[in-house]
This record gives sequence, structure tokens and C-alpha cells, in this order.
Amino acid sequence: MPVLLLTGLTPSIVAVVMVSGALAGCLGALLGLGGGVFLVPFLNAWLGLDFKTAAAISLVTVIATSSAVSAATTGRNLINLRLGMLLEVASAAGGVAAGVTIAHLSDVTLERGFAVIAALIAVLMITRLERRNVISDTTVDPGPLGGRFHDEESGGEVVYKVRRLPVALGVSFVAGNVSAAFGIGGGILKVPVLTAWCGVPMRVAAATSSLMIGVTAVASVPIQYANGYVNPPLAAAAVLGVLIGSRGGLWFGARARAKWLKLMMAIVLLLVSFIYLRRSL
Amino acid sequence: MRADPASLERLETHLGRLLAVGVIASAALLAIGLALWLSNPQSQAAFWLLNAGLMVLMATPIMRVVVSFAEYVTARQWFFAGVTIVVLVELSVTVLVALSRRH
Repeated sequence: MPVLLLTGLTPSIVAVVMVSGALAGCLGALLGLGGGVFLVPFLNAWLGLDFKTAAAISLVTVIATSSAVSAATTGRNLINLRLGMLLEVASAAGGVAAGVTIAHLSDVTLERGFAVIAALIAVLMITRLERRNVISDTTVDPGPLGGRFHDEESGGEVVYKVRRLPVALGVSFVAGNVSAAFGIGGGILKVPVLTAWCGVPMRVAAATSSLMIGVTAVASVPIQYANGYVNPPLAAAAVLGVLIGSRGGLWFGARARAKWLKLMMAIVLLLVSFIYLRRSL
Repeated sequence: MRADPASLERLETHLGRLLAVGVIASAALLAIGLALWLSNPQSQAAFWLLNAGLMVLMATPIMRVVVSFAEYVTARQWFFAGVTIVVLVELSVTVLVALSRRH
């Protein structure tokens, strides 16, 4: 059994983790990505947990976010269950592969990798494409993987087809790897690719990705748990914080196009990336 | 391979309910466990509740895949039933690796 208590784990640290989880969850919901990319550097660089523990705790919160967000999204035809399941074949494989190998990687290697990923996410946030990818002619056959849903922006039913499936599978595998190694959901990598190259509308890509990241995370979390990287009281505090925070984030107005917030957080991520690079050199 | 919209909608509703129950149950277990742990870090009940909460949390997405498989079989969508089986096999590999690492 993994060790229950980290030495020196005090109620105040638990409280700090819960608050940071709430902040990360709130930011994540506002920006439309999981809070992991904020939670990991906080737990690791600021609280001083080792990288694998920080990533594993963050990944546990990803499962909670996935289930909570998807439960609230069902019934609107936005989640493409069949595309999601097909892509999960690749993302779960990526998760299993990384889950098995991560124990053999050093924290310095992982921190360098995280620096690259944080910078990449910052760039993606700044340059994010917002292509619409919907066909207004509803008589078009969406094919076995496509779908139709009621689009609030155009006020009617719209249809979309999935193109370049191998690209979608490839990015899902990579997202699975990245998710397990760095404790983030991976939606930030999948969603831009699905919308820019695979014909999936933005909101469908986001909803489907939110559903997928739970299974992707579960493809590696049990291994990290068995290896002792998931500290139960800290994981519980982080999960509860993230659940409360993401509610708050949605309540603050997820619909708002918080451009300045995106830009600010992109700068924060670039800073995180810089700090990690400096630490690891 | 085409699904009738009614069965698709039913699947989505089932899965939504399953995920909601899973996340509420695990949050409750984790909250009570954490409260007990804060009052007494040596508490066996806290240890049990915290780990049970994490187990329920991890089991929820796996159950989602299991229920999807059952629904695809019922709807005779063999291609997607097969896809779902592959995902379940991958998740079983993880669980088996995890069990083998437990001391």
C-alpha cells in the first residue's frame, strides 16, 4: 500500500492545496482547459512536492473534472460519443505507455518536458484558431463519425463530418502521453487539432475532449497510485478544491470571451516555462 | 452502423447520470475522509474513506466505458462495441500493472 502520510503534512498544507485546486479549477473553467497546467507547477515548484507526486495528484483532479463537466454537458448532442471512444483507443494507449515509463524518468527530465509543454500551451492559447466547421445544409450525411447538433450561434441545426481520422488518432496518442507524464488533461492539444484539421466544431471538440480526458487519465493513474505518487489527503483536498473552483469558474461566466485573461494566463505559463527551464539547467 | 437518434440520446443520458453519481459519491467520501483525517491523521476510517473515494473516482470513467459497451451490443453496433472492447483491454492492462506493483 502506498504511504498514507507524507512526513510533515499539516492541516494548513491541506488547506493551501484545496485553495490552489479551487483557483486552478476556476481558471481552467474560465479558459476552457483543465486546471492541471496551473496546479502542477504550484504543487511542485511552490509547495515543493516532487514532480511525479504533483503530476499524479493533478491527474486525479482531471478525472473529477472530466466526470463533472461531462455530466453537465450530456443531452445537448455536443459530446460525440463514438468519435470519443475511437480516439480513446489511442489516448488510453498513450496513457498506459507513459504510465509504465514515467517511473523510470528523472524529475529533471520531466521538468524540462513540462517547460516545453507549458510554452506550447501558451502559444496555442495566443494563436488559437476559431474556425466554425459546421455545415448549415442539414440534409448532408454526417457519416458514421460525424454528427449534428443545435448551434446557438447560428440558431439552427448544423451538421459536421470528421476528416483526417489518422491525424485525430495521432494527436490523441500524444495527448495521452503528455497527460500521464505531466498531469494535465491534454484537451489543450487535442481540441485545436480536431477543430483546425479534422472538421470538428469547436464546442463538440471541447465537450468530446472533456469526456475523453477521464478515461485517458484512468489509463495511468492506477499505476501512479500503486507507485505511491497519489497522496490520499492531498489528492482529496485538490479534487474537492477543483470541483468547487470549476463550478465557480462556470458561474463567473464561461460564455464571456475573456481575451485579456487568456493573454494574461499565457504570459503566466511562459513564466512557468522559463522558471522550469532555469531550474533544470 | 448508423445509430437511431433515440438510442444515442438514451446512451448519453445514461452516461451523464452515471458520471454525476460517480463524482458526487467520490466527492462525499473524500470530503468526509478528509474531515476525519484532519481531526485525527492516524484514523483508520479516514484512511479507508479517502482510498474508497479515490477508487470510486477512478472507477467512474471505467464504468462509463463498460456501460457504453453494453449499449453498443444492445444496439448491435458491432464496430463500436469492438472499439470499446479495445479501450477496456487497455484499461485492464493499467489495472493489472497497478495491482502487480502493489506491495
